[in-house]
Amino acid sequence: MALVNHLTASCWRNLQGGRMHKQLSVILRHLHKSATSEALEISATGEEAMPQRLITPADVGGTRRIKSLKEMPGPSTLSNLVEFFWRDGFSRIHEIQNEHRKKYGKIFKSRFGPQLVVSIADHDLVAEVLRAEGTAPQRANMESWKEYRDMRGRSTGLISAEGEQWLKMRSVLRQLIMRPRDVAAFSDDVNKVVDDLIKRVCTLRGRESDGATILNVNDLFFKYAMEGVAAILYECRLGCLENEVPQETQDYITALHLMFSSFKTTMYAGAIPKWLRPVIPKPWLEFCNSWDGLFKFTLIHVDKRLSDIKAQMEREEEVKGGLLTHMLVTREMNLEEIYANITEMLLAGVDTTSFTLSWASYLLARYPQVQEQIFAEVTSALGPRTVATADDIPRLPLIRGLVKETLRLFPVLPGNGRITQDDLVVGGYFIPKGTQLALCHYSTSLDEENFPDASDFCPKRWIRKDSTDRVDNFGSIPFGYGIRSCIGRRIAELEMHLALTRLVQRFHIGVSPLTTDVKAKTHGLLCPAAPIHLQFTDRETTS
Amino acid sequence: MALATALRRLSDARLRRLCGRTAAGLTAGARLPAQRSFTAGTHALRSDDKVTVHFVNRDGDKITVKGSPGDSLLDVVINEDLDFDGYGACEGTLACSTCHLIFDEDTYKKLGAVTDEELDMLDLAYGLTDTSRLGCQICLSKSLDGIMARIPESVADIRQSTDGSV
Ligand code: HEM
Ligand code: FES
Repeated sequence: MALVNHLTASCWRNLQGGRMHKQLSVILRHLHKSATSEALEISATGEEAMPQRLITPADVGGTRRIKSLKEMPGPSTLSNLVEFFWRDGFSRIHEIQNEHRKKYGKIFKSRFGPQLVVSIADHDLVAEVLRAEGTAPQRANMESWKEYRDMRGRSTGLISAEGEQWLKMRSVLRQLIMRPRDVAAFSDDVNKVVDDLIKRVCTLRGRESDGATILNVNDLFFKYAMEGVAAILYECRLGCLENEVPQETQDYITALHLMFSSFKTTMYAGAIPKWLRPVIPKPWLEFCNSWDGLFKFTLIHVDKRLSDIKAQMEREEEVKGGLLTHMLVTREMNLEEIYANITEMLLAGVDTTSFTLSWASYLLARYPQVQEQIFAEVTSALGPRTVATADDIPRLPLIRGLVKETLRLFPVLPGNGRITQDDLVVGGYFIPKGTQLALCHYSTSLDEENFPDASDFCPKRWIRKDSTDRVDNFGSIPFGYGIRSCIGRRIAELEMHLALTRLVQRFHIGVSPLTTDVKAKTHGLLCPAAPIHLQFTDRETTS
Repeated sequence: MALATALRRLSDARLRRLCGRTAAGLTAGARLPAQRSFTAGTHALRSDDKVTVHFVNRDGDKITVKGSPGDSLLDVVINEDLDFDGYGACEGTLACSTCHLIFDEDTYKKLGAVTDEELDMLDLAYGLTDTSRLGCQICLSKSLDGIMARIPESVADIRQSTDGSV
């Protein structure tokens, strides 16, 4: 989930009081350093900044005047505060995106105290922003994450690092886990976890009186996602899908849940100014506690692997291994950087994948005809028993379509962030460097203009007729785009493709009478607002 | 840390063995070791008979260079130090589509299969055409000798330069 804490949330975290002043003044100081800004006479809010002197209509070669932020539409500060704090807008951020888009258009501004957020709710404008990115794009203010790491003497990881440090680590990691063909090598490891997932489905449904129901499937998929990503990151099995979950794994899950359940509190952890901490200590303490728990778990597993490697070396055995071994042996990153990245990747990789799997199986259950089409594709490509590997996925376009369509309807990250690193003109507005942008994935992916019958679940819309057939666009980019996009994308896709293929092949998935219409709510990530209960019955062919 | 050095040496040797192809960019040759021989090293193909490639840059100038069989077109751009602004930002890891190239129809047909992942990233490329490909996904072979690859117009630069010259 944590991705949340920083991504979507970051905007909101930044909004509150005191700290904002600090941040704003930092931004302003920053701006004043640049020639432009000096000439701009930036006002206290930054909003008046309008470089009339620098950019005239003629300069941009068009006839349209570039408008200032001041002219940008958007909800009033007061109505925004009421919306978010009084009417708990945080859990409806995704819907509010849509409402505001309808009301104010493709680009609008919102104000949270002194923090200004410019929302971009149009696929072409999102493309403009992401294509103009520099060499180390910044998502949001990560001060509280950095502060924790400084305090404990830990390094930042990909999520929390910026600038040079980020680029250095990103350059190492992307060469290891971003190329589809490199990630395909994890296929067998992931399939072993899928074996356990299937067994677990059978165990759990066997405990119910109808022999079919799995209560709260997200609980199951959470364990699958955690086991899957750990199999790759830690090169070991955690036992999440066993009847008895080992204590240290249980402790980790507790830390993760703490991070998640105290989402709002931890969000405030960054927002509450330091001098107020003695008075309101809880948010910051919980924030630190959950990070302690997350790091601790990584340390246990990484140190264990490290001592195994050392022992092997001493016995002069050949050292073999996967991702972690490679990192520990090559030391392209130092040990602290390895700890931090493994921790942040595990955090970013579990809830994202498990929510998507929950939504995907929910949608399959709600749309039995679609499920039958996918089942037909899987059985004709693989037969009833062949276990799919990464190499089979190109022959299963509907499985890929299923994942894309699920993420279109339920983009786990309903909004992403960018802090502009240059002065920009977007949608006819001048946006000064240092502005927090919110890229509204949820509203663009449900936009009829991009996706006809946008609210329909239709994996087929992603199928290409041939290789020159273009299907999507910037309307649905659930993993982001460009050099700061999701580094775990290919890992997540592999885990989801292999799990869903096997589930569809093996079971008919139906909705339990206990579950009706499940809506989404934003809790940092877009998650099911109610537990999803499903029934898994064996396909005749497998019996 | 003698151990660390030993480990490093060991893995270097292994990496060299496993990685025929240099990955473009900063972490040349960084591939996972052992068990998983990730890249079926293409170095067997490597020889002195080079492949000629013509690039047409954004100003319309033609630049002729040579690459080795097995290299990707992105590798060629990097090895030859060609200065195409913003080209290949993600170092060939299929995350960006800034390595977009446009070919003529006949060449396009010779370029070999396109993966789903490449198609997905191509969808997000600026100035996409029916004969577009991602340079980081095209591997040179003798049969591609003499091909011409055009660098598409760059993204309309929405950044405003800070010196006021816009
Ligand atoms: C369905 C699954 C997932 C979705 C939808 C997802 C989505 C995203 C998105 C939208 C971002 C922000 C990208 C941007 O700012 O442009 C991101 C970043 C990130 N994700 Fe994922 N993610 C998923 C799974 C994973 C997994 C499995 C891992 C780890 C193996 C992971 C690790 C990360 C990391 C480390 C970042 C920060 C990258 C950086 O700042 O350089 N994610 N993810
Ligand atoms: S270099 Fe980024 S996709 Fe080719």
